Amino acid sequence: MLDLAVNSRETALRTLHGALAAHPAVADGERLLRDVLERVMLAPVCIAPEVALPHARTDAVTNLVLGVARIAAPGVGFDGEHPHVRLMFLIGAPRSAVDDYLRLVANISRVLKKEGTYAALLDAPDEHVFRAILARAAAA
Amino acid sequence: MKRMADPAKVLLERLMRLLRWRLWIQEKLQPTEWQITLMWAAVAGFTGAMSSMLFSVLAEGIHELLTGRSEGVVETMRLLPWWAVIGVPAAGGLLAGLTLALGKRIVRGQSSTDYMEAIVIGSGEIPVRTSLIKSAAALFSIGSGGSIGREGPMVQIAAVLASLIGRWRKFSPPQLRLLVACGAASGIASAYNAPIAGSFFVAEIILGTIAMESLGPLAVSAVVAALTVRGLTDAQQLYDVPPFKLSSAWEMIPYIVLGLIAGTLAPWFLRSLRRAEKWFVATSVPPIARLVLGGIIVGDLAVFYPEVAGNGYSVVVGILNGHVPWLALIGIMLAKWVATAASFGSGAPGGVFTPALFMGASAGYLFGTAVNMFWPTGAADPQAFALVGMGAFLSAASYAPVMAVIMLFEMTLSYDIILPLLLCSVIAYFTAKGLQGESLYSESLRRKAAETPRAALPAGNVRDLMKQNPPAVPTTARFAEIARMFLSVRVNNIYVTGKDGRFLGAVALHDIKPYLGDADLAGLVIANDIMREDFPRIGPDQSLSDALGGFLGQPLERLPVIDPDTGKLLGSLSKSDLLLALVEKRQKPTA
Repeated sequence: MLDLAVNSRETALRTLHGALAAHPAVADGERLLRDVLERVMLAPVCIAPEVALPHARTDAVTNLVLGVARIAAPGVGFDGEHPHVRLMFLIGAPRSAVDDYLRLVANISRVLKKEGTYAALLDAPDEHVFRAILARAAAA
Repeated sequence: MKRMADPAKVLLERLMRLLRWRLWIQEKLQPTEWQITLMWAAVAGFTGAMSSMLFSVLAEGIHELLTGRSEGVVETMRLLPWWAVIGVPAAGGLLAGLTLALGKRIVRGQSSTDYMEAIVIGSGEIPVRTSLIKSAAALFSIGSGGSIGREGPMVQIAAVLASLIGRWRKFSPPQLRLLVACGAASGIASAYNAPIAGSFFVAEIILGTIAMESLGPLAVSAVVAALTVRGLTDAQQLYDVPPFKLSSAWEMIPYIVLGLIAGTLAPWFLRSLRRAEKWFVATSVPPIARLVLGGIIVGDLAVFYPEVAGNGYSVVVGILNGHVPWLALIGIMLAKWVATAASFGSGAPGGVFTPALFMGASAGYLFGTAVNMFWPTGAADPQAFALVGMGAFLSAASYAPVMAVIMLFEMTLSYDIILPLLLCSVIAYFTAKGLQGESLYSESLRRKAAETPRAALPAGNVRDLMKQNPPAVPTTARFAEIARMFLSVRVNNIYVTGKDGRFLGAVALHDIKPYLGDADLAGLVIANDIMREDFPRIGPDQSLSDALGGFLGQPLERLPVIDPDTGKLLGSLSKSDLLLALVEKRQKPTA
């Protein structure tokens, strides 16, 4: 989802979750949201000043699911240290998939570290380009 | 996105790199708990050797101080005037008695656990001060020429040091007992320069098993001890003997008879020592006076037979090399018997191991000479009979024929004698066992076990064995914090607990290993994200065999112990402790 016009962390999460809940791997959408919100309360989920990875290991999903959203400027505050988050990667992972979950998180962090990727993602004119940039960076 | 050179982040990256290195080394070297046990066994071997050498030096120093001479004990007794020959052992007895009396005041209330008790019926803890005082007293009785061996105190000190190391490293009782046994093995290995016998002595006599779980660490400790002694001194085999050979198969017949003789004499010898002890106690004179009296008896005998002084080592060397005429040996043997009974009975601290070797050598030599007179083919070389007699006597006295054979072999490096030695030792062992139920060591141990109210029985369930406060983190612990904990404690899984102490799961090093270099993860991921909730666990009241079942099929070194009612994490059970305890339990099914 691109350029979410939201003004709070929770609305951002709910909006992105709304799009993700339809995914066949999500068995219990409500629960997924609850678990993600709980996790976000528990400890910070940002890996860069403007990037958040809200996530939860939960029984609500049968497979690893990922939703990505770009939030319209100036972004939303996730916590005191991250007041302008622009990119949000929402991850739901089955409880047993510790390894898959860690691999995904590590990959996202690697992709975003790649020179220019972050800026390109922010500048991407549409979802198609956005996906292409992500795919290219992940494949490299 | 640009990377920031945040000092905290740099530190984090360094930390992660360090952890990756540790993991790399760990994977390459794979130090399991057993390897760590072996490493500490080696340390115990080294400290044991050092303390044994120190003890020897001190004993010689005291000998020189008391007599003004630096020759061996027997030689000194030959050179001293008669009044000094009586006076020196008496003075030694007095000093030993004073040390013990003074020591009793300092360590009032401390029990006098010796290393065997600590291993067999105790928790592996040996009181340090009592041991040191006893050893100091032993220095006086040995340095003054008491007819007593120095190996006892040497082994005791080596075991004390091992016990201290184990307590410092917070070893579990089974591990601590094993480490104390390693210390004892190192003491024997360095006292006799006999590493194999050192390990087998402890395995056979004290642990009662030669299972690799225990023999392995004992051997490592004994080898390190022997290497240390050989590296720092010019130690060779203890007894330099001429080559022996079995001249004819007929010789085995007298050897069988020698086995019977040694097997009969050894229990007598031990019984006479205990009787002497009772006699001294019955005189109802104070302990110091008893020790002085014991010294005077040894001194009186030494006026006529200087050979009775000391542990008898030099005389045994003389016998084995044929330097002692058999007629004189009859008198010396009887005098030595009385002298040892006087020293031991009067309460002089020390061992009777070397005096036992003396008795065996004398008996063997005299028997060999007698056979030789009437049937030269049956005993071509009486000195060989002396050597075999030593082994047989030791086997009968200690009830450890394997150790006796190995020890004799190591002390003389004479392989040719092994056939009669083996046969003779086994016969002596069975003869002694038939005559008397208990060995040099077992009786006092049994007595002590009966009077020790909280004799540490082999652990019966998981609670007895578990270690408290295993490494654990809260659910919110960051990846970096978890990584740091993996660095500081050597475990493969860190437990995760809730606020109320409930066990929730475990973070496996294996899971996070590939991501250790990732500093972003370090701040993002918390224990809650990566713990495995389905981690196997056991209850505190489960039996040891049930617990072993819990380990089956799991590549785990430890299992968390969870209270079944509250779900709280109580501790952790290590697989090596469990295996040791199961080995111990098999040894003492009735306890």
